[in-house]
Amino acid sequence: MKRMSLSLLAAMGLFAAQAVFAAPIELGASVQKTGSFANTGRYYADGYQFAVDKINEKGGVKIGDKQEKLHLTILDNQSDVNLSVRQYVQLLTQNKVNFLLGPFASNFALADSAISEKYQIPMIQGGGASDQIFNRGFKYVFGTLPPASAYFQTTVDAMMKLDPAPKTVALLYADDSFDVSVAEGAHKILAKTPLKIVIEQKYSSETSDFNSLLALIKSKNVDAILVAGHETEILNFIRQAKALDISPKFYSFTVGVSTADFRKALGSDADYAFGMTSWLPSSSLKDDYFGDGMQFAEEYRKRFGYEPDYHSASAVADVLAFVKAIEKAGSLDPKAVRNAIVNLDFNSLYGQIHFNAQGQLELPQTVIQIQNGKVVPIYNAKGFIGKPQYPMPAWKQR
Amino acid sequence: MKTLLFLLAAFGLATIPWWGSASFIQFCIDALLVAVLAQSWNIIGGFTGYASFGNSVFYGLGGYGVAISMLQFGLPFEVGLCIGALIGTSVALILGLPILRLRGFYFGIATLSLTFTMTSLVSNISFAGGNIGLVLPIGPSDTLFFELSLALLGAATLTVWWIARSRFGLGLVAIRENELTAAVMGINTTLYKVLAFMLSGLLASLAGGIHAYWITFLDPGSAFDLSLNVKMIIMTVFGGPGTVLGPILGAFSLSAISEMLAFYITNLANLFYGFVIVIAIIFMPRGCIDLALHYREQGWRYFLENIKKTKI
Amino acid sequence: MRKALLENLNIRCRHGNSGKYKMILLWQVLVNGVLLGGIYAAMALGLVLAWGVLHIVNVAHGALIMLGAYVSYYLFTFIGLDPFAGMPLSMIVMFGFGYLLQLYLLNFMIKAPMFNTLLLTFGLAVIFANLAQFAFSADFRIINPVYAGDNFVWLGATIPLVRILAFGVAMTLTLFLWAFLTYARYGRAIRATAQNLVAARLYGINPRKIYAMTFGIVGAFAAASGVLYGVVWQINPYIGSNLTAKSFAIAIIGGLQNPLYVIVGGLFLGIIESLSSLYLGPTYSDLVFFGILVLILIVRPTGLLGKTA
Repeated sequence: MKRMSLSLLAAMGLFAAQAVFAAPIELGASVQKTGSFANTGRYYADGYQFAVDKINEKGGVKIGDKQEKLHLTILDNQSDVNLSVRQYVQLLTQNKVNFLLGPFASNFALADSAISEKYQIPMIQGGGASDQIFNRGFKYVFGTLPPASAYFQTTVDAMMKLDPAPKTVALLYADDSFDVSVAEGAHKILAKTPLKIVIEQKYSSETSDFNSLLALIKSKNVDAILVAGHETEILNFIRQAKALDISPKFYSFTVGVSTADFRKALGSDADYAFGMTSWLPSSSLKDDYFGDGMQFAEEYRKRFGYEPDYHSASAVADVLAFVKAIEKAGSLDPKAVRNAIVNLDFNSLYGQIHFNAQGQLELPQTVIQIQNGKVVPIYNAKGFIGKPQYPMPAWKQR
Repeated sequence: MKTLLFLLAAFGLATIPWWGSASFIQFCIDALLVAVLAQSWNIIGGFTGYASFGNSVFYGLGGYGVAISMLQFGLPFEVGLCIGALIGTSVALILGLPILRLRGFYFGIATLSLTFTMTSLVSNISFAGGNIGLVLPIGPSDTLFFELSLALLGAATLTVWWIARSRFGLGLVAIRENELTAAVMGINTTLYKVLAFMLSGLLASLAGGIHAYWITFLDPGSAFDLSLNVKMIIMTVFGGPGTVLGPILGAFSLSAISEMLAFYITNLANLFYGFVIVIAIIFMPRGCIDLALHYREQGWRYFLENIKKTKI
Repeated sequence: MRKALLENLNIRCRHGNSGKYKMILLWQVLVNGVLLGGIYAAMALGLVLAWGVLHIVNVAHGALIMLGAYVSYYLFTFIGLDPFAGMPLSMIVMFGFGYLLQLYLLNFMIKAPMFNTLLLTFGLAVIFANLAQFAFSADFRIINPVYAGDNFVWLGATIPLVRILAFGVAMTLTLFLWAFLTYARYGRAIRATAQNLVAARLYGINPRKIYAMTFGIVGAFAAASGVLYGVVWQINPYIGSNLTAKSFAIAIIGGLQNPLYVIVGGLFLGIIESLSSLYLGPTYSDLVFFGILVLILIVRPTGLLGKTA
């Protein structure tokens, strides 16, 4: 039976290799296509595939004087971290991929990057922003999401410029790697302002009931609420806030606001919510392969049937970074490509790709607000670029 | 003759790291560890008849023992493993005494609650990494882990083999069949049950410690994973509860099929587990070993007999 | 943790009257807990029926709730049927599902040891969750009727409309089940069959049909609580296991002897979750609840209200 499975596995390996003949640059990823993270995981699967197809369409990758095509293998980790780790080992040792693309979510990236480090193969991931991933001194993991600790920087800056400025703030965060990082960073950012943190509360990931927290917030009459959590939790939070008739002057969420299903699910209840995104489909983001950010979004929507958000763009950026690095290094040697990645500096539909010393991109977050069902950019590193609707009216007055 | 075959098989297994592909070795390590878990459950569930949903607690504690020793105290892996095992066994003793007084399903629910309680407790301890988890240093090669897991499985199987032949084992079976009578006949049921639980805990925590170091990552969700506990139950029940080789058979066969399915369509693997257990429980509730023993005489009627016994 | 506790209790408000605001907060949290408890009780009802009466340990109960929630979601999304108005329809659909499930599958395991039915239903739970993922995708869904955010104030506490409706439905269903099992002829037939199969047969009862009907009722109740769940929270294929665990805990704490005890169990869970969320922090509620459950099991396994064995 052992022999049978061994030969079966070997046969499948051969089959996979044969499936796309003469595709020497192998990229591999383990993504959450099913399971509880699947609704965002699919943005990564789609983004990676979209990028690979586009690059191949435009002739592939130039190594020396040859044009080589890319081939992508995506495995479904069923939203299970342990399986994800094993799949990365499989991609490296059995599928023999040249380079790795990352999963969604910081806790996955945290565990999976240990594999890329162990085997010394570069991994560029667009789904994990937690500082923990990058402060272990690993040399082979890079991230296209900005550092989690800086997520609320532009939001807080914008808050201080609002009139009348909020005085008290509640900081709520889920207990996973990403959100804890965001909250620690937010705490430091807020400490530098005159804002008073009256509530700073960690809650269990996948909490569905926020009634007690909301009651506490109401009793303290908080002006602003900052929430670092997952889309499901934030949806519950907003619905329950409405049901308990709680509306602070301002609230901002790390995820959800930028995605279309979130706005669709809440309908008009999503209005006035602030959020952030490291990417907007702007025509000022020029790209060698996609034209610009707006064209990219158009084509993506045509192909997949939904609007891309920063997850998708981040995923595409990962592939683009590899392509540029390979071309720069002129070879597929992992160490050479890794060094090339460190020195990358180019513009893409996602923004400027230039990794900092820890291996992350330092893209500032653009503060956005949902106004009448649409995402409106409000504030970026340069200042106000849109008019915020502030303060938020009470639920009954909308 | 039989022992010779076993030794040959064991030797053959031991050489896998030299001729197997890296991903096959990986699969084997996983299968070996889950087989150890199945054996650990076999002791308390198969022999003693106390269906525990709490083996994942010991598994997780073993893992955390290793992780915390290595990360917070800088101790080597071997020491961490012993510490993890010590913690697992002591918790089995401390919790076993009150909980083993419960019968049947209440015992199951109590152990299930323990799993949730432990997950929640550890999530709140930042010393243990909270809900974020701990990342362990990168360990030695897979070969070492393979041999270690194989040795552990060997030890576990020998333990179960010894239990099956000893008075202790007979006592456990007596407890399973009719606890009251067993007590009346002079068996110290509390002592026997707690010992079984402790053995179970020991094996599970050793497996957990090895797994944590191998995967290099541990968080409360994956450490006290309930689905792992259910998997070990399914594997043991499918293979043959109360037998020596049943759990190994169940673990290896189900892992292999699941892995192959996962290769094609990943959802299929989970669906497969569901179907296996549904069909196996209806048609062959005493496991493969029992099926193998009786099939020769009864053929297809074996399955029909099982249904007849339980349907209305 | 102590710091958070002190911070939470030490409410300074602009008016300087911290005592009054502390009481209002506590009152609101208690009200939240009671409403939450009602919904939890509704969820545990079907389980108590299956376990207490049929002696089927139904680990797939959460999955049934999930399926019921999806039925209601699709009815709401495609034909605009209000979830509460459409509840009878969802219940009928799941009644049929439960009936068939029992008749053609579970009936084969009635006389098996409880542990085997446990494994069987566990397998079913896994199958249902994965089939649901195939059919409905992993995206979360909400049932969002127009009045989902409405609320009113009562004695100083804000009460969301959907939660009080859910509470009302839960109480009604519980009372109905209790009355049915105690007074209705068919209900008593169900109990009789469960207690003594042979005698029931001698009385001319067809046990297969009775069991099927009973499990159909279990399905119907699961559907009702699924509707409530979908309106208050969100649906995805994996909500089942958590709900099953909570339902079992409620059933045990309340005691299996009488469906009315489910209310006690449900309220207990709801209030504990609410209070511990406020005073200890939301990351502790599981710990507190399951810790208490373990203690109850050790000290009084028949539940808070049940007769001691």
